Amino acid sequence: MTATAAGAVVLALGLAACGGGGGGGGDEGAEAGFNAAVGGIVNKDDKPTGGELKFAMSDDIESTDPGDTYYAYNWDFTRNWARTVLAFRNEPGAAGNELTPDLAEGMGTPSEGGKVWTYKLKQGIKFEDGTPVTAKDVKYAIARSNFSDELQKGPKYFQQYLDAGDYKGPYKDKNLDNFTGIETPDDHTLVFKLKEPFGEFDYLMTIPQTAPVPADKDTGLEYTKHPVSTGPYEFQGDYAPGKGFTLVKNENWDAATDPLRKQMVDKITFQGGQDAQDIDNRLASGDLHIDLAGTGVQAAKKTQILADPSVKKQADNPTTSFLRFFNISTKVAPFDNKACREAVQLAADKVAIQTAWGGPTGGEIATNAMPTTLPGYKRIDPYATPGHKGDVAKAKAKLAECGQPNGFKTNISTRSDRPKEVQAATALQQALAKVGIQASIKDYPSSTYTNEQAGAPSFVKKEELGIMLYGWGPDWPTGFGFFSQISDGRAIKPSGNSNLAELDDPRINDALDKAASSTDQAEREKLYQQIDGWVMESATLLPFVNEKTLLYRPPSLTNMFIHEGYHMYNFTSIGVKP
Amino acid sequence: MTGLEQGVSATLTAPLDVTGTAGEVTPEATLSGAERAIQGRSLGQIAWMRLRRDRVAIAGGIVVILLILMAIFAPLIVRVIGHPPNEWHQEMIDPTLSTAKGVFGGVSLDFLFGVEPLNGRDLFSRVVYGARVSILVGFGATLLSVVIGTFFGVVAGFFGGWVDSVISRVMDVFLAFPLLLFAMSLAGVIPDNAFGLTGDGLRIAILIFVIGFFNWPYVGRIIRGQTLSLREREFVDAARSLGARNGYILRKELLPNLVAPILVYATLLIPTNILFEAALAFLGVGVAPPTATWGGMLSSAVPFYSVAPNFMLAPGLAIFVTVLAFNLLGDGLRDALDPRAR
Amino acid sequence: MIAYVIRRLFTGVVLLLVVSLATFVIFFVVPRLAGASPDTLASRYVGKAPTPQAVQAVKERLGLDDPLIVQYGRFVKGIVAGNEYKAGNDVVLCNTPCFGYSFRNSVEVWPQLMDRLPVTASLAAGAALLWLLAGVSIGVVSALRRGSFFDRLGMTTALAGVSLPVFFTGLVSLALFSYYWEIFPAGGSYTPITENPGLWAYSLVLPWCTLAFLYAAMYARLTRAGMLDTMNEDYIRTARAKGLREGAVVTRHGLRAALTPIVTIFGLDLGLMLGGAVLTESTFGLPGMGKLAVDAIRGSDLPIVLGVTMFTAFFVVIANIIVDLLYAVIDPRVRLG
Repeated sequence: MTATAAGAVVLALGLAACGGGGGGGGDEGAEAGFNAAVGGIVNKDDKPTGGELKFAMSDDIESTDPGDTYYAYNWDFTRNWARTVLAFRNEPGAAGNELTPDLAEGMGTPSEGGKVWTYKLKQGIKFEDGTPVTAKDVKYAIARSNFSDELQKGPKYFQQYLDAGDYKGPYKDKNLDNFTGIETPDDHTLVFKLKEPFGEFDYLMTIPQTAPVPADKDTGLEYTKHPVSTGPYEFQGDYAPGKGFTLVKNENWDAATDPLRKQMVDKITFQGGQDAQDIDNRLASGDLHIDLAGTGVQAAKKTQILADPSVKKQADNPTTSFLRFFNISTKVAPFDNKACREAVQLAADKVAIQTAWGGPTGGEIATNAMPTTLPGYKRIDPYATPGHKGDVAKAKAKLAECGQPNGFKTNISTRSDRPKEVQAATALQQALAKVGIQASIKDYPSSTYTNEQAGAPSFVKKEELGIMLYGWGPDWPTGFGFFSQISDGRAIKPSGNSNLAELDDPRINDALDKAASSTDQAEREKLYQQIDGWVMESATLLPFVNEKTLLYRPPSLTNMFIHEGYHMYNFTSIGVKP
Repeated sequence: MTGLEQGVSATLTAPLDVTGTAGEVTPEATLSGAERAIQGRSLGQIAWMRLRRDRVAIAGGIVVILLILMAIFAPLIVRVIGHPPNEWHQEMIDPTLSTAKGVFGGVSLDFLFGVEPLNGRDLFSRVVYGARVSILVGFGATLLSVVIGTFFGVVAGFFGGWVDSVISRVMDVFLAFPLLLFAMSLAGVIPDNAFGLTGDGLRIAILIFVIGFFNWPYVGRIIRGQTLSLREREFVDAARSLGARNGYILRKELLPNLVAPILVYATLLIPTNILFEAALAFLGVGVAPPTATWGGMLSSAVPFYSVAPNFMLAPGLAIFVTVLAFNLLGDGLRDALDPRAR
Repeated sequence: MIAYVIRRLFTGVVLLLVVSLATFVIFFVVPRLAGASPDTLASRYVGKAPTPQAVQAVKERLGLDDPLIVQYGRFVKGIVAGNEYKAGNDVVLCNTPCFGYSFRNSVEVWPQLMDRLPVTASLAAGAALLWLLAGVSIGVVSALRRGSFFDRLGMTTALAGVSLPVFFTGLVSLALFSYYWEIFPAGGSYTPITENPGLWAYSLVLPWCTLAFLYAAMYARLTRAGMLDTMNEDYIRTARAKGLREGAVVTRHGLRAALTPIVTIFGLDLGLMLGGAVLTESTFGLPGMGKLAVDAIRGSDLPIVLGVTMFTAFFVVIANIIVDLLYAVIDPRVRLG
């Protein structure tokens, strides 16, 4: 869930290119400019182009198995071969955050106050081998991805919410009827039984884990070699992890059942393990079309984009839902005193951090705990300082209030293999020194950061990690998707904890419960605003940027837009002009 | 060299002995300590005479001394010429591009080597401070390697037989290790608080241990060879026939004669270890930020090599000059102590 | 002769075991001594949702609760006899030599190593050819014309070469040849030789030269020193006294003896390099063994690290045996036995 460069996730999907392409610069023939694909469609053209669409990435893809992934880029890409029960609209702008049916005929029908959710599946949807998709295939897919020991990479929301007893998953328990969390009264009806009411259950239906998997084709961890497609493209042969793969047209995909996607090209290829700088060069030369990671270009390319207008018009700079922040511990002295936390809030020079993070194209200065992209966001700035540069006098006053007029010593933890985070931590260290707080930087590998150091409260206390650098993106675009892991006092765990500050405020906990059970969106958004305010008031979270990425958009691609659900290009329905 | 060659040289002269004087100097070694001191001086004097004539080596030596002084007096130098190494100067940074304003990465009288992208830290100060970690680790690790290497080298060479076989095989194993990978792994799994140390102190101690520990076989091999040849020398036989015990022979006869090669190889090992430290820092294993190290600076400079070349040139050239100076001095020392090696 | 090879192979196997044991100790025993429990170890390999059930599952799957000796035994058994792994509905058979599955992405280690080997081998082969040719010839000429301008120039350059870290030379050459003059491609653009030999060579020119510069410098210094040593030997004087032509003295007697230590070191260097030219690969973004290992170390992916270190040690062992056999050919004084 956290903070990996590629981002935790926000889902989405939608109407390929065909959706209401409002927005600037989308008209065919017109010159596309900088940010033209943010809120608009560049080279909108529904005519199939044929040809090959080439993706590459510096790492290998997380997984091709829709049941075993957690990265936004992966969820975006997976839609080419995996259809989910619901999806995000495939449209630019805010519409990308709205839900729409995909396999289902309509949205979920809640009953028993949101404790039971029912979905009806469309008729006539087939797997790539022509077998019809049934409700059982969806049920099986959720069982394997959420209840087995083998598939560990994806989220476990269904395990958390479904009332499934101690079901052991389909690999240990071969009888799917023992999985009581989902009922399938007929081949086209899914009935989800929850432990408690959950108003935002529809959002879970967009997770690729709801893409059907035929039980007789499931090979567990090996399924990644050839996931059975329901989307417009299917795997050509078996994919050997680490070697890249080719997707070809799925003859059994029927456009009539799928208004969200288009078969624009003949095939789609992916290569992993490519050098990041090289990817930038190949995007420019046209040898490659899209960087799958969606995290933006490297420093050299960035300079070129920002300095050369003819290159700049081929770039987009969307804001992601990723918030970068410092958590200030409530358990490490002297931060157990709120005034000391406030002193840090007031001392921080957010402009310095932003510049070190890559300047305005790297992120916009954040003042809320809630990311700007979420519905219901309302700007607040309880620790405003002149020009966001910090206020030494006010900070010192707060230090005096907490009984530390001459400052104190503390530690800032960060992830050693993330240069930007090290820079941000150093920036805060500098600012704190000005008010007399001597902070040492403790750097840990990102592979153990959440499980063994910052995310392990006993370690935090022992090593006195007063300030911890972190980042978070919601798994679905609502306040609940964002706050439920990082601000709920009951979410504090001995290891793998994401509520690093160990904030446990009954008002916030209650508001989250209320929001979870509410099916009224306006009411929920109001609750999230309140939570945002309370989190900031506690001074446990010092936000500094809402992350932005700088992406290069090759001129040859059609139907290009930034999908707000994933905060990168929409990876479906793209054409390649010859 | 092959075994045969070593045998030949051993019967003629000890490899690092001074030809001509060897005949009269060595027998005296068996006599009292006072006279040995005279002999040591004379050997040292001859070497010093030779070294003095080697202008390149002297230049290397001077640079080495300057570097050490620079490391020791870093705070003073920086106070006079630069800015504190960790102080941010974002007023020097273009906020849009995140790189330095001005020519060649912001080089000016105020910032001699320009500034670091993103945060505007003074590269000159960071290079000066970076010398501290490099030289500390370089010397520390070398000392450790020399101590371990000399001990096992002497033991293997002096006792021979199965002891020699075991130690030699162990050294072979070390030489077959991908050292960098092992050092990286080991440095990565040691927690943040250990052996009563924490922070930079602990990290530096770990670096010294890891580098010194993995490099000892290079010293060990050479010392073993030297000991093997010394063991067969007349003065050792003489001491033995006079009834001297092993411990005595080791301490009084062998070690003094090993001082010269140890000195030479230690001087040559220091630059190797400095490079090793830089490589580890480059790969992300080293002291915690914001402490400056040359390897760490180079690693941060990678994404900026095209837009801020001064960022990589400053620490890169610092490593180059330092390593070159030590190598020149080491080469000169070897030539001075062993004319045959020319 | 055959007995000799067999004996060497046996010691080679012992060496491999020691290397594997050392790697294993670093990743599993040292952290334990430092206070990590099987749970904390397992939590490193859980995805982004480290629920207690997930940690438990990983612990069971990787057998982290077993005594260390059992875990190590399982690894060794895998190499010799293969292993079976549970992968959900299927049981996957991992054939000999089985280095197990990556803790991170559950992909078998062996094919990953095989994937990376051609990259590293391409890098090592090209660079080795360059540095042997350049290093040895400069060293020989410098020794024969000791004190000449060529000698001074050559040795100064060589000294500079051994004093430059390869990651710095690499960056400078990238900045100059790729960014400013745009002669060679930027880092990371590796093309397999089977796909396009021209592009393959083109993309490797910079890494080859960077790596060869360092090694050529070392070899030039070694060769020169070795040549000077041998040319002072009595038997060379004898050969000269016999009236042999200088050319024959140099090649037949001098070079032969001077080359023996070079061959030993070359064997070791090449062997180590086949296990990954860590720094060069990192600098140029080449997807070779070294980069694989560095990434694996960062992710504590023990099976991959073990695979790479074993691979490296294996190459060193083989290289050493070949070198010793070559000795007998080069230096008539050496007898195997």
